[in-house]
Amino acid sequence: MSATASPSAPFDVDEGVSPLRAGQGHSFLLRRIHSLSGIIPVGAFLVEHFISNAFATRGPGAYAKQVELLSGFPFVVGLELFGIWLPILYHALYGFYIWYRGESNVAEYPWTGNWMYNSQRWTGAIAFFYMVWHTWHLRFSGIHILSHPASAFGKVQLEFQNPLAVAFYALGIFCASWHFAYGLWLFAAKWGITTGDAARRRFGYVCFAVGLLFMLVGAVTMYSFLSTPLQRLEPGVSGAESFVMK
Amino acid sequence: MGNSKTVRFKIKRQASPAAKSYWEEFELPRHSGMNVISSLMEIAGNPVTRDGRTTTPVTYDSNCLEEICGSCAMLINGKARMACSALVDKLDQPIRLEPFSKFPVVRDLAVDRSVLFENLKAVKAWVPIDGSYDLGPGPRLTMQDQEAAYPLSRCISCCCCMEACPQFNEETNFVGAAAISQVRLFNTHPTGSALKRERLSALMGDGGIHECGYAQNCVEVCPKDIPLTRSIAEVGGAVMKQAIGDLFRK
Repeated sequence: MSATASPSAPFDVDEGVSPLRAGQGHSFLLRRIHSLSGIIPVGAFLVEHFISNAFATRGPGAYAKQVELLSGFPFVVGLELFGIWLPILYHALYGFYIWYRGESNVAEYPWTGNWMYNSQRWTGAIAFFYMVWHTWHLRFSGIHILSHPASAFGKVQLEFQNPLAVAFYALGIFCASWHFAYGLWLFAAKWGITTGDAARRRFGYVCFAVGLLFMLVGAVTMYSFLSTPLQRLEPGVSGAESFVMK
Repeated sequence: MGNSKTVRFKIKRQASPAAKSYWEEFELPRHSGMNVISSLMEIAGNPVTRDGRTTTPVTYDSNCLEEICGSCAMLINGKARMACSALVDKLDQPIRLEPFSKFPVVRDLAVDRSVLFENLKAVKAWVPIDGSYDLGPGPRLTMQDQEAAYPLSRCISCCCCMEACPQFNEETNFVGAAAISQVRLFNTHPTGSALKRERLSALMGDGGIHECGYAQNCVEVCPKDIPLTRSIAEVGGAVMKQAIGDLFRK
């Protein structure tokens, strides 16, 4: 009897993709904040970070002055927290959520746009794990750079004593540059700034140049730390101190 | 190994929506100009597998046989495309035929694509001209608007753009490129633009335009060469303008 009684749900079948839920949910807001946060403030911070570190090319003295300038900002920890750490954390965690919900299919559709879609996920993930390691080492452990700007150059050099760390820096710079450059391109396309095919292609060249420039500046900066004789840390400061906040 | 005088097919079969799928192989005599649909017709006329076993004819959707109705979309050698315009001479052997992977299978190669119809309803993809009296002729479209609208009106609802999209799945429930492109078509229509705000609002709901990851597979697989990525960019911009404007207007 029961075998013929319920024609409404006779099968245990895949329902397929649901239709659009107009007027429902907050995914639009969350996704657009994610998109915007990649440009402001995370992208803007990346620009500042690359420029500030490039002061290393002008020697340990110039580098110390730049670190002193930044660490002398009013409400510096608040700026770091709301301008850098929380936005990066949101961008990264929501980014992983986006990755989890996507269904990569480059094997079936091996086209440039599809490869770039995947590259944006991989470079984002690598850059995030790099940043966790990088901030732990340089910001939250060892000599406190904010209160000892003169030791900043030497601290980076100490880090570079390990060839694996140098390799991880190179990878991190490569991935962050790639992710930012293609992110700019995606932002312009998705927010309706570059609507035409020719405009998207042109802006693609611009973003490619931006990515290359970031990689180049990163490489030159790394070379400065590696080629300068090892700088002493400030006397009276032991390298084993750990500061989470100060 | 099929010699050059025959064509081999590997077809994914499924007897009912709840049944398990399995593969069957077929071998047909090769003749000039055959396509996947004409091959499926031959199999229906003589449903015998390659190893000589009589089977049921393969179920598939098709109608126009000239890439204009949108019925016969399926996975051919793993890619979403129209079976009627898939020429056998240009395909690697054995030719693998599968139903779309992201739509409920009805039987064999026939799938239920009603999600696109539901999405078109959700974005009000029509021109509102219902009334109790004769509204007279509508405003004329400029030549420029006609030329922009015509490629968009070529959509045949085949759902290839959705099948090939990495974001179109049961996690995101993304609306897909076809419906977004129709929003652009009806928003540029002088009478259809009466519903412009409602269409853009609909695309802000869960599964809306923001789920696009811009992998651009849609524009690559579209059999009608619809500028889908351009539509997504233009509608994306309009949605953002409206969303930001509403922050101050509402």
